[in-house]
Amino acid sequence: MLRKIYLKEMKDAFRDRRTLLLTVFLPILMMSALTFFYESLISDGEEKSYTLAVQEDIGHEENIFADYENIELVKYENPEEAVKNGEVHAAILFSEGFIDQVNSAEKAKVTIIGDSFSQNSSNLMNLLENILSNYEKAVISNRVMEAGMDLALIQPFAIEYSEISGEDPNINILAILIPLILSIAIGVGASPSSAEIFAGEKEKKTMEALLMTPVSRSTLVWAKWLTISSIGTIIGIVTLIVVAIEIFFFTEHLKAAVNFNGNAIAVIGLAIVISIIYAMVCASILMITSIVAKTVKEAGSYSAPVMMIAIFPMMIIMGVGVSELSFVHFAIPIMNLFSVMKELVFGVIDVQHIGIAIVSNLVVTFVLFMVGRIMFMKDKWVMN
Amino acid sequence: MIEIQEVTKQFKDRKIYVTALKHVSFRVEKGEVIGLLGENGAGKTTLLRVIASLLTPTEGKVLVDGFDTVKQPEEIKKRIGVLFGGETGLYDRLTAKENLEFFASLYGMGKHETKVRIDELAKMFGMRDYLDRKVSGFSKGMRQKVAIARTLIHDPDIILFDEPTTGLDITSSNVFRQLVHQLKREGKTIIFSSHIMEEVGMLCDSVAMIHKGELVYHGKIEELYESEESTDLNYIFMSKLVRGNEGYAS
Repeated sequence: MLRKIYLKEMKDAFRDRRTLLLTVFLPILMMSALTFFYESLISDGEEKSYTLAVQEDIGHEENIFADYENIELVKYENPEEAVKNGEVHAAILFSEGFIDQVNSAEKAKVTIIGDSFSQNSSNLMNLLENILSNYEKAVISNRVMEAGMDLALIQPFAIEYSEISGEDPNINILAILIPLILSIAIGVGASPSSAEIFAGEKEKKTMEALLMTPVSRSTLVWAKWLTISSIGTIIGIVTLIVVAIEIFFFTEHLKAAVNFNGNAIAVIGLAIVISIIYAMVCASILMITSIVAKTVKEAGSYSAPVMMIAIFPMMIIMGVGVSELSFVHFAIPIMNLFSVMKELVFGVIDVQHIGIAIVSNLVVTFVLFMVGRIMFMKDKWVMN
Repeated sequence: MIEIQEVTKQFKDRKIYVTALKHVSFRVEKGEVIGLLGENGAGKTTLLRVIASLLTPTEGKVLVDGFDTVKQPEEIKKRIGVLFGGETGLYDRLTAKENLEFFASLYGMGKHETKVRIDELAKMFGMRDYLDRKVSGFSKGMRQKVAIARTLIHDPDIILFDEPTTGLDITSSNVFRQLVHQLKREGKTIIFSSHIMEEVGMLCDSVAMIHKGELVYHGKIEELYESEESTDLNYIFMSKLVRGNEGYAS
């Protein structure tokens, strides 16, 4: 009986074009946009060309930028005006006779004009600061050497950077992107169906027709919960597959970041298990909101804020590095699923963390399901 | 046979208790067609829901063929078919046939048995042309026919209709009336609530009038005409309600 109701619910859910659009295609579209946004964010500043306004009478100062092919110098009578008009990303003004002043150790001045609210302008200003800093160091080195002094006097120590992780730094973007995709796709995607399955059936009186059959309420609630879980799982997995295809075939930097430490199959398998568990938790939350509601509209109003409970923990761990994840992150249900997912993206498979995450979320799912089941047994929640 | 014994049903609306039914008692014999009359909010739908074992009475009990609606709801559900008013209780995205097949499967009917029954009902209601079409595109009359077919899919002995002709055109209402006659000939027990007095007069053997949750009259329709010296059910109904307001209870 459970199978018959489940199959009918699935057929009903996936037959509606609007639901299909909202639950499957929209999350996929949103996630694809997010993937390409992150890809462009990573590649920003690497191959990007910037336009820099300079004075018309610029002299040898031009040579400072000779090695930087991505900076195009454009001469303007009023460079500041050119920035204001959005004709260039930034402007640079050198004091008159700048190179001569520097060479003769007189006081010289450079002014950088830009718009900090513009990403491109900010990038160019940072780049100009680095270029001028390097030029400054070169000038100081020349002066020290000309004075017959040791260079070590102005460079007392050297700084070396060494990363603990041998991973591509862009993997962290993936560690943010994947849980984000999963939480939004499953949370948003399963909502319309869950609203239809309980509140919608009450509204259309199909619930009364169902309750009039000899099928027990327990079987009904199981079948309906299973349907919401399945829809969430399908959406989660389909979205992840689409994003994976996009990463592998249409991105360069994100693709280069994927490594999984040679555990690709295990990582993918566990990611699917985590997705299923998360879909089950979401299904239980959505089931309760839909039982409480009398209409589909009401269910939608309730589920949106309540689903924040399931999405918010992902926001908390967004800025936490994988090595910073502590016991607390793995002890709190829902949050521990995102923590495990983060580890998996880094190719880390910690059986204890995975075990705690699965068991604790199954307990939460069971408790929420039982609350929903108890409500479904009461007439006041089942009939409007 | 249906025995309604001292049934009271209260609902809690926030902190206030609302009494929908007050000590309602009457009997419906096997093969009898009884009309349930009352104003909106009188308690007709609540009573039908209690009989159908969808609601638990606060006090009293209902026995259907000897089975208690609270203690043996599964037995009741096998024997009863219910059509509630307003929405027809059909899945819009499924076809008429899929709707019927689904409900047949919930009643434990086999594939062959379901096919034969659907053919029978499709012929009875003239639904063959649109059996394979999605319900979402149906007119109110078409929906109502499918809903009635769903109610009868498992061939129940007892049928409850809650305002079944509300919103139907004359043709669909006539089809329904013919159906009640046919079901009556088959020996089915039928309770239906209605606002249309002519319909009740035409179809019913007896009537039960409910006013503000109380039973103000129950008896054979001929006896009612005789005692009230009138065959105008509208007039009788109104006068019973006036007396009900004055504290009359039969």
